[in-house]
Amino acid sequence: MSHPKLKKFLLRYYPPGIILEYEQHGQLMQKSIDLLNLTPDDDVEVVVNQVLRQEPMIGESRRETLQKLVFKLLDKLQTQDHQDFTLFKVLRAHILPLTNCAFNKSGDRFITGSYDRTCKVWNTFTGDEVHTLEGHKNVVYAIAFNNPFGDKIVTGSFDKTCKLWDAHTGQLYYTLRGHATEIVCLSFNPQSTIIATGSMDNTAKLWDVERGTELCTLLGHTAEIVSLCFNTTGDQIITGSFDHDSKIWDVRSGRCIHTLSGHRGEVSSTQFNYAGSLCVSGSIDRTCRLWDVGSGRCMSVRQGDGQGHTDEVLDVCFDATGKRFVSASADSTARIYNTMTGQCLHALVGHEGEISKVSFNPQGSKVITASSDKTCRLWDTETGDCLQMLEGHTDEIFSCAFNYEGDFIITGSKDNTCRIWRC
Amino acid sequence: MGLLSLLRQLKKSDGEARILVLGLDNAGKTTILKKLSDEDVTTITPTQGFNIKSLMHEGFKLNVWDIGGQKSIRPYWRNYFDQTDCLLYVIDSADRKRLEETGDELSKLLEEDKLAGVPLLVLANKQDLLNALPANEVAEGLNLFSIRDRPWQIQPCSAKNGTGLQDGMEWLVKQPGTVRQKATVLFLCIW
Repeated sequence: MSHPKLKKFLLRYYPPGIILEYEQHGQLMQKSIDLLNLTPDDDVEVVVNQVLRQEPMIGESRRETLQKLVFKLLDKLQTQDHQDFTLFKVLRAHILPLTNCAFNKSGDRFITGSYDRTCKVWNTFTGDEVHTLEGHKNVVYAIAFNNPFGDKIVTGSFDKTCKLWDAHTGQLYYTLRGHATEIVCLSFNPQSTIIATGSMDNTAKLWDVERGTELCTLLGHTAEIVSLCFNTTGDQIITGSFDHDSKIWDVRSGRCIHTLSGHRGEVSSTQFNYAGSLCVSGSIDRTCRLWDVGSGRCMSVRQGDGQGHTDEVLDVCFDATGKRFVSASADSTARIYNTMTGQCLHALVGHEGEISKVSFNPQGSKVITASSDKTCRLWDTETGDCLQMLEGHTDEIFSCAFNYEGDFIITGSKDNTCRIWRC
Repeated sequence: MGLLSLLRQLKKSDGEARILVLGLDNAGKTTILKKLSDEDVTTITPTQGFNIKSLMHEGFKLNVWDIGGQKSIRPYWRNYFDQTDCLLYVIDSADRKRLEETGDELSKLLEEDKLAGVPLLVLANKQDLLNALPANEVAEGLNLFSIRDRPWQIQPCSAKNGTGLQDGMEWLVKQPGTVRQKATVLFLCIW
């Protein structure tokens, strides 16, 4: 029995954590120490002592190194970015409306999908088109990078297929066939070994990235699957369906672990928190629900009681640490909630049309909302104030995304253009 | 109408019909759609993608998809063929020079497998203009009388003042297999 031997520390800013790279049985392994509750007011010594106590792999001799790392994390948390975003580039991206857009982790590339049946790869810093991924026979609806690696892209189409591409060369690796109708949501697992796809055919499928073959079909939903998400460790996946339920599945066996029943309308969006202990779902029934992953029980319901929305909930997501979540609604507001208490912290009021997309920046200091009123807005998560309006699109905005550093934003619109905004 | 709404439109519910509105650019597809939903029709720009409206007609819900007609985006019309209950083809009746072009596009549509048997309503639009061809001449120009594989109708109309639109809708909802029995209507409108 060999003891693990610590080789290297790696720093992770969002969410805050320290990754240990160690050797055991001749193999290089990684382990993450999550510091999700770190705040700028924390004392470095206290945090370091806690870590030393909890992690036997780190000896007293590493105290100084550890101090430096924790100090760096705290320093990053304290950095306040009050700078406004300005329009950097307008890309006449596609000849038909855009669907979704996404950054790679390093933020130097992003991708856009479109009704024109292509996915395009862009250079964020120059606005140049790097590749056009052609081959789908209908709308390219769902797209993703295999972050954090960023060397592969997967596209899901209304043509019922999914395609796996080399992000650097634009070369097609595989076409994944098997769904009976449109593919509308997809994701890589965090290890980039598996692709999950969700379809209007009521099923989700798992695919092997290396071989391009189907691993299993997740059977059980009785209506369209429109949302899916892996947990951080990649052993569970959650699906949200128009059958009003969400389901949590075991990735290895393909078995359903829990059916999360309670919504009285179609589920629009689902997500795990970073720790994988909770998940959130939004629904056309105007509520969002928090669920305990271990038991499958509903922890809280947010509805139109002054705390909730007065119209359909169209998108929900956690911040990077999972301390808060935000919901977006057809009532043209978004709401930020405290995950622990379920309390509504802020109602983000100002849009003049439904909000179809919402997300936190990786720092958790801002929320971006995309609306049918042709604007995106940035909100301060501490005060709930609107910091800025991103104006210029001439039709409704379908998608928006922050890069990992939180200093670039891309917005994709029905007006066929994509806009890059920078700090 | 965000992306989620588009998915909900893809999934067709009972008692709803999906109407696809096609035709050349400047035929007046968007104007017809706006007029039918009582919206302002004074400032309409060429459609770069699509517009979707849900209209209630005699208690039936019609989900109407208006797709841009410019030459560069016509190859993408087939993105929208699935589950179409009725095809509405719009024609600019005053644009005699392009009658042949619009007829060619229509012939191609009628050969599409996914639109086989789908009822066709041709709207001979822009009848308010002095030089507009009457509907029967449009029908002849488009060779409509040779259509044997589906119900079809030609309806003179003016999207600008609304004349004829309601008559077209009447015909549309009466098609067997339209709204009542989950049918499909294709509107062809000629401006």
